[in-house]
Amino acid sequence: MISRLLRKNTSPARIAGFMVSNLIGLTIMAVGLQFYLDAYPIWDEEDSFLKSEYIAINKVIDASSTLGDKSPDFTPEEIADLQAQPWAERVGAFTRADFKVYGSLALTSPSDSNTGDTVNHSENRRLSTAMFFEAVPDEFIDVKDNGFRWTPDSEEIPIIISKDYLALYNFGFAGAAGLPRMSESLVSGIPLQLTTVSADGKERRQFYGRVVGYSNRFNTILVPESFIRSMNQRDSDPSRLIIDVNSPGDTAIRDYLDAKGWEQAGDNTSSSATFMLRIISGIIIAIGSIITILSLFILILSISLLMEKNRRKLHSLLMLGYRLEDVARPYLRLTLGASTAAGCLAVVAVILLRNYWLAPLRSLGGGEVSIIWSIILIVSLTIAIIAVNTATIRHRVKEAWR
Amino acid sequence: MDTRLDSITLSEMLPEVFAGESIPHSEVWLTLCRFERGKHYLIEAPSGGGKSSLMAYIYGARNDYRGHLLFNDKDTSAYSIAEWQEIRRRHIAYLPQELDLFPELTCIENIRLKNRITDSIPDARIDEWLDRLGILSRRDYPAGKMSIGQQQRLAIIRTLCMPFDFILLDEPVSHLDSVNNQLVADIISEEAARRGAAVISTSVGNPLLLHSAINIKL
Repeated sequence: MISRLLRKNTSPARIAGFMVSNLIGLTIMAVGLQFYLDAYPIWDEEDSFLKSEYIAINKVIDASSTLGDKSPDFTPEEIADLQAQPWAERVGAFTRADFKVYGSLALTSPSDSNTGDTVNHSENRRLSTAMFFEAVPDEFIDVKDNGFRWTPDSEEIPIIISKDYLALYNFGFAGAAGLPRMSESLVSGIPLQLTTVSADGKERRQFYGRVVGYSNRFNTILVPESFIRSMNQRDSDPSRLIIDVNSPGDTAIRDYLDAKGWEQAGDNTSSSATFMLRIISGIIIAIGSIITILSLFILILSISLLMEKNRRKLHSLLMLGYRLEDVARPYLRLTLGASTAAGCLAVVAVILLRNYWLAPLRSLGGGEVSIIWSIILIVSLTIAIIAVNTATIRHRVKEAWR
Repeated sequence: MDTRLDSITLSEMLPEVFAGESIPHSEVWLTLCRFERGKHYLIEAPSGGGKSSLMAYIYGARNDYRGHLLFNDKDTSAYSIAEWQEIRRRHIAYLPQELDLFPELTCIENIRLKNRITDSIPDARIDEWLDRLGILSRRDYPAGKMSIGQQQRLAIIRTLCMPFDFILLDEPVSHLDSVNNQLVADIISEEAARRGAAVISTSVGNPLLLHSAINIKL
């Protein structure tokens, strides 16, 4: 009977208006979030051991630096200036090895033996090359998970190489030299014989190298910093720097590097794409938020207007002895019903809309993330809307008391 | 709140609007005035004397007064809304002058809306009251379509539909003839006696025909 009394003057059009706008707002927000989560892995070629927020930079090599007029090394002042940039969280130096390294690889893979040739000519099956090593400070590398560490008594050197090097070998060299193509896991399984010759040529040492990871973004061969430090005989200014930037793809980074005549190593289109994805998703989520907030106001105004129209009745019921919660209940139910319905429909809408992009994104390597985050977003916003309205309703009922 | 409300005391009470005005001698305002459970009080006053204000103050509906309102000799100024609602459910019944009926509800729905809060009066007794006051035939009529005299009798019956220690009646028979006045007075006396409650009734010249009532000049 109270509901019948107090819901009189309810405008179905206003409640429907709230539900539609709330549904649209929540759906847009959740779609923005879900699309971002689904698409992010496609561009975010994150190395398992290096965060995507790290970039490597070096000076552009031109004729003058070749002739020795201009040093390709970074001076301490330049590093300090870089450190002062707002986008640079941390700056680390690449340490060059000042000793010579020769690596040789025994090619005895099973796929090779199938071809049946040159079984006896094991000499031909050794791939030998001069190499170089670099290192970055340990705090830039997640050493815990992949065994990227070295102790002075260890014979085995963990190595991280650029993915491009393997591609160069597989698609350039292996084909031309009649050597087998090798997968990442296969290379990681092969021990690499390393011979180091100290800078003064006096000391030769033997090690085993093992590739523990591949980098998309750094064109170098990384070994643990402790190894290089123990082998190097002198210090030098770094020619490459690793920077922890809070937002890779930020145009400020590009502008700064361009102005200095420096360049970023590796392919940075992916970070630009990630940056664009972030911005676009951010705009979509912002639009969704605005619509959701507006829908919240529609609901608050509708309920307030309804309660204002029924204020006399609210007062009369309170005069009869009904409790505040008794007279608030019909409005709370209305809010709860409308918000919950809009929230549920938004969840359904996101699940349905997601089908449009899920198949293409999955084929590109995205869409791995569960939809639960979008649902959590919708549920928490719905709860927030209900909470705000509950507070408004309580306030209005109290106002009607005297 | 105590389980029973035995006394209502007004101490130096004065409506804010009277402040600064010279008011004629009163047995209520600016003095100590005490109402006790089980007694009948008739408050007589000219229009504008503050009768309705007094009723509203005691019922917690307004608080624009100076001085103190004491229930069982305890100050009510710090009562919460919940405490007042408990008073309105269990201790004080109130018939406002403007009746405050819901015109869109029928006669019996108006009564049930009140009775369902405490479920204290059986349907049979409600029908008996309706019959005695001559509005049983209007039982299922929308309250808004009943005559003002009928509405007044309906509102009186509604007011009785709760347990109470005090019943406040603001000009309860202003639209009733003396025959109906006596019928109303009988029912109210019976119900007050059943509960051991006090009756406080106001009038501007057509008082409720209560027996052995204490007359108070406002």
